[in-house]
Amino acid sequence: MAAAVEIRFYALLRRRLERRRLAVDGDGLSVLDLLSLAEEQAGRPFLDELLDRGRGLLSGTMILVNGENIRLKQGLATRVHSGDVVDLFSPAGGG
Amino acid sequence: MNGWMGRIVTVDLGSGRQEELPVSDEMRRRYLGGRGLGVRLYSDLCPQPPDPLAPENAILFMAGPLTGTVMTSGRFQVVSRSPLTGTICDSSSGGSFGAALKSAGLDGLVIRGRAERPVYLVVSHGQVEMRDAAGIWGLDTQRTQKALQERAGAKASVACIGPAGENRVLFAAILNDRDRAAGRGGLGAVMGAKNLKAVVAAGDRATAIADPVGYKEMSLRLDRAVDKNPVTGKSLQVLGTSVLVNIVNAHGMFPTENFRRGVFNDAEGISGEKIAESLLQRQSACYKCPIGCGRTTRTRNKSGEGPEYETVWAFGAHLGVSDLSAIAEANYACNELGLDTITMGSTIGCAMELCECGAWDAGLRWGDAGRLTGWVEDTAYVRGVGADLALGSKRLAAKHGRPELAMQVKGMEIPAYDPRGAQGMALAYATSSRGGCHMRAYMIMPEILGHPVFLDRFSTAGKPEIVALFQDIAAVVDSLVLCRFLQFAVGISTLSEMLRTVTGLDIGDEELLRVGRRINTLERLYNLRAGFTRADDTLPPRFRNEEFQTGSSRHRVVRLEEMLDRYYAVRGWDPQGRPTAATLAELGLQDGRRG
Repeated sequence: MAAAVEIRFYALLRRRLERRRLAVDGDGLSVLDLLSLAEEQAGRPFLDELLDRGRGLLSGTMILVNGENIRLKQGLATRVHSGDVVDLFSPAGGG
Repeated sequence: MNGWMGRIVTVDLGSGRQEELPVSDEMRRRYLGGRGLGVRLYSDLCPQPPDPLAPENAILFMAGPLTGTVMTSGRFQVVSRSPLTGTICDSSSGGSFGAALKSAGLDGLVIRGRAERPVYLVVSHGQVEMRDAAGIWGLDTQRTQKALQERAGAKASVACIGPAGENRVLFAAILNDRDRAAGRGGLGAVMGAKNLKAVVAAGDRATAIADPVGYKEMSLRLDRAVDKNPVTGKSLQVLGTSVLVNIVNAHGMFPTENFRRGVFNDAEGISGEKIAESLLQRQSACYKCPIGCGRTTRTRNKSGEGPEYETVWAFGAHLGVSDLSAIAEANYACNELGLDTITMGSTIGCAMELCECGAWDAGLRWGDAGRLTGWVEDTAYVRGVGADLALGSKRLAAKHGRPELAMQVKGMEIPAYDPRGAQGMALAYATSSRGGCHMRAYMIMPEILGHPVFLDRFSTAGKPEIVALFQDIAAVVDSLVLCRFLQFAVGISTLSEMLRTVTGLDIGDEELLRVGRRINTLERLYNLRAGFTRADDTLPPRFRNEEFQTGSSRHRVVRLEEMLDRYYAVRGWDPQGRPTAATLAELGLQDGRRG
């Protein structure tokens, strides 16, 4: 699965899914489709931590593709490719 | 009077004399309380910036109009001139001391002079009593609080210094309610220089509410907003502030080994997630706080409070250390001895780089987790290498001929967000009135966390305006006095509604923001009098000249010059950073240049 897209879960997502990462065969998919596929593969729902009911990004959701926030790219329509790393953070804060 | 107690007392520790300091309704409207009113009163009491450790300096313990009312309102602000930076400084602490000060009948306590022998102050029934501290001088902060609570009763709240403050370490903290700290700026040293070990507050006076029905409705809405918000209602509760470790590291701006890299390879091992599954015993909360971001933890050897995000970084990635127990124990030691964890860790990191490059032969090495607590202890007692570490990074690096290796602004060490990864945060560090601090304008909120809107962290466009706005909102929150984390859930209109229902003062959002602007401008005026200029609104050369080679903030430098002129213009300051006459007139600060 080295060529798959690697999804890394943090914080509350990690606790819910009880896993740190998931490899998804998602070459060429949009981030939204990738996440839907990942949810199926993970066997537990988690998109409610990241997206609103209209399937838009929740305020505060951070999704990074290779370290870059998708809000600076094409949002949930951003395409991912084999070998990409996608970091998922539900809204969080501190300081 | 609604909201405020209407009483501020000045005590001279040299003569023992105390008197009420009159504060007009107009002054309360213009400065609220806490930081704002504290800075105003301080500016009037010490118009010529005094030596921070001289008897002439004043130190103020300030509550605010909302203290003791809504959620998170147990906080207080300590105001003085910082011995670390020489700037005007206020330092905020949680717990319940602020509420206790108010229930003891005071909005604020102003302390001047120097006692001949160690003393502590007891505030109750609106009066202040000075007592002999001979039996507690030398004790750490935990034993001091325990001893004074045994005398004053368990309901009393104690704000005190430890050995570091007694020894006038320039970044000594003030601890209260066990492990809450007014950490930054070294105001614990100001107490130590006054021979003041502690302030004890206790009482049963309630804060009067102007509009009880409106207050109740507003409080219910506030409860719902905080509960519903995913940050305040969930993330901070479950994972605490250290949830930021992985987030900031993923953005390639988690300062590693004295800000030489932006990615720490062992970040997982010191993350909030890791703390939750290893050291965490339970969460802890301040007065009337439903969030409970605090962490009570246990290592192999000890238990205590923390580490919070900044401390995890300061003793962790910054030093190349991934031993979470060692980090927590260094944190416990800082709390017990009364030291600011950010400056302590940052200064050790500076020392490690000085040693590595041969500028200082003191044997501090990256990753040496086993010696962290020893260095903290040596610093508090100003002995061995600690005698140098007690200087803070700016003086330490200068002493050893490499001033550029201190990661500080105006003498205060920059915390756990590399400014190359967030241009707005860089501007906020450079222009903060107390030096390299993230709390004056927490630009990480929009630039990384996406609250309340998401901003491109690498762009400078619009950042001067937003930094100024964030600084003004922060000044309001610090003056009401509330916890900044409420800002994740509510905006300025809720703050003005809180002020209206509690005090009856209906000034609206715009005027409330003008209060914030007035406070920031007043602080600027003070710093100008203290000798600071535009040249001090800068960052160490590392951030302007050196790029990371890895991580998602690679190949970036801080572009301060694109933002600073515009920031001054937004503020109504001239190109040298001096408030113009028109700005002073608009803010009612025409007298601001006096002295």
